[in-house]
Amino acid sequence: MKKKIIGLVLLIAIMLVIGGIYLATSRTPKIVAVDGYVGGEKIELLEDEEVQAIFEEAYGVQADYSRAGSLDMMTADMEGMDYLFPSSSIAEEYYEDLHGSPQQSEIVLNTPIVLYTHRAVLDAFDSQGLITQSGSAYYVDMPRLVELIQNDTAWADIGLPDLYGTISVDTTDPASSNSGNMFAALLANVLNGGRTLTEENLPEILPQLEDIFGKLGYMETSSSDLFSQFLRMGIGAKPVIAGYESQLIEYAALYPEQYDAIKDDIIMLYPAPTVWSTHVFIALDDSGELLLDALLDKDVQRLAWEKHGFRTGNYTTVSESEGLIAAGVADNITQVTQVPSYDVMKVIIEQLQ
Amino acid sequence: MKKRLTALFIAFCTTVAAAGCALLPGGSSGENEESDFSAGRGESIRILSGSENRELEEVIADCADKAGVHIEIDYQGSVDIMMQLQSGAPDYDAVWPASSIWTSLGDTQHLVKHSQSVSLTPVVFGIRQSLAEELGFIGRDVSVNDILAAINSGKMKFCMTSATQSNSGASAYIGFLYALLGKQEGLTDADLQSEDLKARIREFLSGVERSSGSSDWLKDMFLASDYDAMVNYECLIIDANEQLIDEGKEPLYIVYPYDGLSIADSPLGYVDHDDDKKEKSFLAFQEALMTPESQSAIEATGRRITANGVSEENKDVFNSDWGIDTERILSPIQMPESGVLMNALNLYQTDFKKPSLNIYCLDFSGSMYGEGEGQLKDAMSQILVQENAKKNLLQASSGEVNIAILFNEGVITTLQAEDDSDEALVKLYEEIISQEPGGGTNIYLAASEAYRICMDYDLEDYTPAVILMTDGQSSDYSMEFERGLPEYGFIIPIFSITFGDADPEQLEGLAELTDGRVFDGTEDLTAAFRSVKGYN
Repeated sequence: MKKKIIGLVLLIAIMLVIGGIYLATSRTPKIVAVDGYVGGEKIELLEDEEVQAIFEEAYGVQADYSRAGSLDMMTADMEGMDYLFPSSSIAEEYYEDLHGSPQQSEIVLNTPIVLYTHRAVLDAFDSQGLITQSGSAYYVDMPRLVELIQNDTAWADIGLPDLYGTISVDTTDPASSNSGNMFAALLANVLNGGRTLTEENLPEILPQLEDIFGKLGYMETSSSDLFSQFLRMGIGAKPVIAGYESQLIEYAALYPEQYDAIKDDIIMLYPAPTVWSTHVFIALDDSGELLLDALLDKDVQRLAWEKHGFRTGNYTTVSESEGLIAAGVADNITQVTQVPSYDVMKVIIEQLQ
Repeated sequence: MKKRLTALFIAFCTTVAAAGCALLPGGSSGENEESDFSAGRGESIRILSGSENRELEEVIADCADKAGVHIEIDYQGSVDIMMQLQSGAPDYDAVWPASSIWTSLGDTQHLVKHSQSVSLTPVVFGIRQSLAEELGFIGRDVSVNDILAAINSGKMKFCMTSATQSNSGASAYIGFLYALLGKQEGLTDADLQSEDLKARIREFLSGVERSSGSSDWLKDMFLASDYDAMVNYECLIIDANEQLIDEGKEPLYIVYPYDGLSIADSPLGYVDHDDDKKEKSFLAFQEALMTPESQSAIEATGRRITANGVSEENKDVFNSDWGIDTERILSPIQMPESGVLMNALNLYQTDFKKPSLNIYCLDFSGSMYGEGEGQLKDAMSQILVQENAKKNLLQASSGEVNIAILFNEGVITTLQAEDDSDEALVKLYEEIISQEPGGGTNIYLAASEAYRICMDYDLEDYTPAVILMTDGQSSDYSMEFERGLPEYGFIIPIFSITFGDADPEQLEGLAELTDGRVFDGTEDLTAAFRSVKGYN
């Protein structure tokens, strides 16, 4: 008997709770939680409270994510995933190669590959005639820089005797991280006389690429780790690194005090030419499309630029934006080469592994 | 009062946990196992840290209080931290190795988040001031080859940590390889096979007087004896100098070899085991460490907090009379890619470092019967059976000598492996396990016998160690042993590994007399062996 009463009480309690939940959810607009894979460099954007507020209020969508490398995510388990958000068009081609056309895909954000360095290195490069300036932005002559690297030119030879070793650009591991991958693409094109590398010229270019990367030794696997080590360890440890333009803009926006302390020394160099890292959003289902719409929202795109440094359709020129704290950002990115095709990049990555 | 109760409770739990672990050979670390250091109250964060952070314990305690978290720290070498991470570091919520390379090499399961450098310090040579003067190292740029010349001429010997365990040893060793190859970057597997390099690195490492598994212990060992020089972190040499000056002794002069320098960036990172509460507590603790006040307190211990010089208030810590140059741009060598690095470390262990002279003193007295005997025999299988040893980078080095003294109240028998081959070591192991325990215990007699055997060897050519495995219940002949010591004309460290129902007191005494150390073999045998091996 006693047991039966307890059972009844429990049943009523459960029904009340269910009813309560139903009432509560029917009063507020329904929020769709979407889940997907995202490259690490966009996590700050998805974690941004202002961005999340727009997602929820205007689009009724909440973005969950798992962090994954741009290429890795294409072969990852997609069960329960609504979207993929890699950092390159190569990754999108890879998807199509494996799975066919996605439900929908669109370029949502862009950021060019840049070099980060210190003022003393800028001056030394300048003395070698490698630097041109336009507005407050610095450009570095990539063919000449590659020549210095290939000739094993010592830092001491260009007037930096305090730096040990030869001129090099530290990068992330091209096999595991997109920024390293894109930098390899850029070097490939530069070595190919500025033209996008094709399969035909691979045999000639590949050994040169291997030689350059072979001299780099240990490579970090994450662009954000490399960038923070660059900021932390000083000119002696990492004289020049390859990264995304968005990294400095985001750092300056999110940590204005820290940025203020280093801004005279830290220099962003635009490689001439450079390559775009294009962040393609791949919607796998209707929920994924909902997040795609939300990401294309005017205010989200503005925040993506001002706080996180990603150029978008509306914010590709600096003059249109007043909220930028980072110095030396180019008005627009004009000297760009096309990243080699997926087939060519696949060979490059395999060879550099 | 409450603290005492807590301490008592922790002690109780530890005993229970240790008793539990005792049944498992090789040991496993339980939740309640006592950590090397703990502070603060609140959500518990267990950190696996390099030993160089011992000097930061005050700052850490302060930050734990501010953040309202309970911090527990275990100290290990950075290479060991990497190996822990590779297996998922299930017992830890955070890792704090000396350099970020060990986090990124170890994090194969992508568990580490929020990794942030806490301080910077270069790996340098600290050389007795008068010797540095004699060698002409004062006030000029010194290369690794200059140091090699000093070693070859017999003017200098040095101490360094084991390259297969500790970041300072590994970084210095890679620096030596580059310098000896005359290369500045891009070390390859082919480079490591060069006969010329092999000969030269062996020659260089023959100058290693003593080794150790961790940087902080190397400093302690250095202070306890009378050595010429050590490779260590700038911050630990500063610490050593402060103690040397206090004792009225000559300080060390810091040399930054321009072709073999590396920087430890001390990254503290969270290990994500899906526990949001712990993640929040970790972030609170990390934030407390990064506040200007904490950073200044960290700088006051001789660590650098920026790459651009030191602050005015802590300038005196970085005494320029000791050769410290805070204006100098620290331009480190490049670490090789991971495959080459691991290959280099293996070669160090098996081929390049000075061969070990291991004298095992194994207690086969009656009190070892049962549990202790089982643990001892299992331990010997971990070190002598090479397929076991290899898993933990403990394999025998080329030219290594292994001798076992089986003892009770007297010496039962003395066994020796014929050579360094796997077969010879297995044979030695089989001879050992066929022995049955019985009789009284005299560890001092066994130790004297070990010393007597060492007299037959040219100790310049080996790193000798006595490894005493016992339950520590011996008749007391410590006075006799101590009185006999000067006759030998050398001191060889006696490392004790305790088993069964151990009483470490007598063993601590031996360790103190000989610069040795006592390990609890029932808790984590692998760690004990890695430590002992690191010291020789």
